[in-house]
Amino acid sequence: MEEKIKFDKLEDYPEIPISTATTKHNKTGSWRNLKPVIKDKAAPCSKACPTNTLIPNYFNFFIDGNIKQAGKILTLHNPFPSITGRVCPAFCQTACNRRKFDERISIREIERVVGDLYLPYKIEQRPQTEIDKRVAIVGAGPAGLSCAFYLRKFGYKVIIFEKEEKAGGILRYGIPEYRLPKKILDKEIEILEEMGINFEYKKELGKDIDLYTLKKEFDAVFIGIGAHVEKKMMIEGEENFISGSEFLKDVSLGKREPPGKKVAVIGGGNVAMDVIRTLLRMGANPVLLYRRTENEMPALKEEIEKAKEDGIEFRFLILPVKARKENDKIVLTNIKMKLGEPDKSGRRRPIPIEGSEEEEVFDAVITAIGEESDRSCVPKEILGEDGWVYADKRTGATKIEGVFAGGDFVQGPSTVVEAFSWGRKSAEAIDRYLKGEEIVKVEVPEKTVSFMQIQMEYFERKNALRPKEIPPYERIKSLEIEENPGFTKEQSLEEALRCFSCGVCNFCGICYSYCPDAAILWKENKPEIDYDYCKGCGICAKECPRGIITMEKEE
Amino acid sequence: MCKGVPKGDNNNGKGGIMQNMKVIMGNHALSYGAKLSRVEIISAYPITPQTQVVELLSEMVGSGELKAKFVNVESEHSALAVCISASLTGARAFTATSAQGLALMHELLHYAAGARTPIVMGVINRAMATPWSIWTDQNDSLSQRDTGWMQIYCESNQEVLDSVILGYKISERVMLPQMIVLEAFVLSHTSEPVEIPDQKIVDDFLPPYQNPYALTPSNPRAIGAVTSPDFYMEFRYKIQKAMDNAIEVILEEGKKFQEKFGRYWGLVDSFYAEDAEIVIVCAGAYSSTVKYAVKKAREEGKNIGVLRIRVFRPFPYEKIREYLLGKNVIVLDRNISFGAGGIFYQEIKSALFGKKKTKCAGYILGLGGRDITPSDIDGIVSDFLKRKKFDDIIFWGLKK
Repeated sequence: MEEKIKFDKLEDYPEIPISTATTKHNKTGSWRNLKPVIKDKAAPCSKACPTNTLIPNYFNFFIDGNIKQAGKILTLHNPFPSITGRVCPAFCQTACNRRKFDERISIREIERVVGDLYLPYKIEQRPQTEIDKRVAIVGAGPAGLSCAFYLRKFGYKVIIFEKEEKAGGILRYGIPEYRLPKKILDKEIEILEEMGINFEYKKELGKDIDLYTLKKEFDAVFIGIGAHVEKKMMIEGEENFISGSEFLKDVSLGKREPPGKKVAVIGGGNVAMDVIRTLLRMGANPVLLYRRTENEMPALKEEIEKAKEDGIEFRFLILPVKARKENDKIVLTNIKMKLGEPDKSGRRRPIPIEGSEEEEVFDAVITAIGEESDRSCVPKEILGEDGWVYADKRTGATKIEGVFAGGDFVQGPSTVVEAFSWGRKSAEAIDRYLKGEEIVKVEVPEKTVSFMQIQMEYFERKNALRPKEIPPYERIKSLEIEENPGFTKEQSLEEALRCFSCGVCNFCGICYSYCPDAAILWKENKPEIDYDYCKGCGICAKECPRGIITMEKEE
Repeated sequence: MCKGVPKGDNNNGKGGIMQNMKVIMGNHALSYGAKLSRVEIISAYPITPQTQVVELLSEMVGSGELKAKFVNVESEHSALAVCISASLTGARAFTATSAQGLALMHELLHYAAGARTPIVMGVINRAMATPWSIWTDQNDSLSQRDTGWMQIYCESNQEVLDSVILGYKISERVMLPQMIVLEAFVLSHTSEPVEIPDQKIVDDFLPPYQNPYALTPSNPRAIGAVTSPDFYMEFRYKIQKAMDNAIEVILEEGKKFQEKFGRYWGLVDSFYAEDAEIVIVCAGAYSSTVKYAVKKAREEGKNIGVLRIRVFRPFPYEKIREYLLGKNVIVLDRNISFGAGGIFYQEIKSALFGKKKTKCAGYILGLGGRDITPSDIDGIVSDFLKRKKFDDIIFWGLKK
């Protein structure tokens, strides 16, 4: 078509008033005083996730049927989605904007499916080029494995030293099979081995290896040995108790006989839940003793609910103060408690009620009152004034140059996903350190898309899908039954389609359809603003269902 | 006998092979006409007395007998909008309406003509409200005379059917829309024997519509965008040229139609008008009544004739002068332009203005469906012969 309409003579006219030229010569963009800018923003779920996984981004590829790309984006931040897809408390879901609309997306269940489907392709993340630098990683738990995965991906030679016979740490020796099947973990370890990571087993820091030797032999060291030392109750007769983490480790190694029929489990955290639910599945009749009430239990709500569904007896406001062994039985002296003023943690402090002591006989007693890291294996130089290991949260850098640390070892018992995050952040920091760059990388925080920026008119109310769980009476029969069967691929696709895709363009084309000036172009399957013609009316920004387009002042 | 008058003008509607006769209503004659024209889009909103037109068409589409898309809409305004859009993409479009429905289309009537869409629409004359009426008069269609639509006023159901087929042929040549006008009940609901032409012959006469400006996804264009004073007027001029051209096209296609189907339809229909001293001018179905009265008068030796205006837009000035100059002319109007008089009367007078001296009077009659009888015609002729003043607006048959 012509650039400009020229009707000088009657014969130039078309028979009907139809355009014979474009209006492109009229660059209406000059009329604009505000301009729309298409830019992805942070989704609240991504922001809430300790690893900052790009959730809507990988959802969009998953919806498109591109598992490889979905898995690639997912593992940019989270090295083992098959694992967090099973055991994560899912901070993402509590931040989901969709909660204000109907229900949060079942993000964790989708992550699990995508993580599992991606496993066959994951080996493609093996490095393309080798970097001639070696990094030692101490501890093959969540933090160490995560750090190893990313460093190896970048091309470094990675050797992991592990004191146990197998890799996994808490993933293998702590989390029960019914929550995380070992075959998933084994597959992940296998991929790490195929990527070229070397595992050296039965090597314990402080005994078989020491930090300074590692530092000398390697270009960098990462310590992620977790927190496995059971806290002491400081009461008489506690030498008769079994440590919760030791018990779980024994079970993971094959022990199937419970330590007795009537077993007391002391504590209210996640380990206590794992211990007591494991005991039930072994045929014991466990009782939980907790010194405060359910409201103050540090265990995840979801875990508490499941333990209750299992039919476990919880006894609150009760504290063992003494124990003695009598004919292979343990006699506990328990004192009743009442709640007082809130303490530092904000939970109400338990106060013993004088004279309320009672004795009760148990076959065994297991404590799960919290773990600490063992700092005796590292030199004092690495410790802070409080006696804990000091490491920068952003990088894992310790007080010793070239030595990094993270996970439970640094911060005390926490979640798997946080350890994964420590591992990745440390790997990236080690990479920068080894390239001679600034270790700390300052990033401008991205703006999060709020619920108010979502255009609700474009979405239909639909509640979240949930996996059809195995009923409690069925699941408590065995330790080997994975209690959450997860989503099928179809279910996870259906659920992923509920996602608002906050701040992440999924190429819905609403802006393209609505622009009254055809000033949004569709190039390479995505929208692009044609500033030559955009008058800045703002309709695209108003209509974008997911807050990607914002109006900015013209410079 | 006036010289130079083609034989056709006194031959309107005669002949035909008289095969495949059906006794059908005027409304159904429209439906058959549309079906035989192989319309591709039908969109209409029901209104008495038009409803049966689209009822039958919807059945034809429903049964698969007519391969067209039937688009349901919520108003006549939308119905015409659908037709315009369809026509712009190159589809043959049909609609039909009456009275208030036509008035509701008014804005888009201009658009259809401006966009040069050859839509054919059945208009069943119904008197305008208020007061409400469902009976016939011509004010609804005549109110739309300046919209750029051609208007054909029919006398019989056969003419209705034939005019639809002819209508598409003419409209698509001149790129103007066309109304096929028939009177409420007098034709719309009255059954007459009608020859349903053979589809093959119709196809031969009326090939598929080829819109040289058809909008397609690969040829996106803007239609009717804002046009500055520098450019607007020429587009209006082109519509007038198309109307001028339509006079020739109507005559040409009328002859071609006659070759195929045996019947001729021209600009005007002469009934003893050539040699008459008094010519009664009329339009529409009541012309039959006029013809009946005139035939009787002729038998009584009175030199009277009838000139039925078939094509009102484009207005056949030349034909009218040929037949009426120097005669005594009675114009019957089943309509009124308040404050000015009968609409046909004004148009006829303007055609004769400044030419040979002609005596001309206008009578307004039959509004809102009031019967027009042979004795009314006789009475009007007597009145005319006695009359001294001719410029009055004369209401015939008014209660006193």
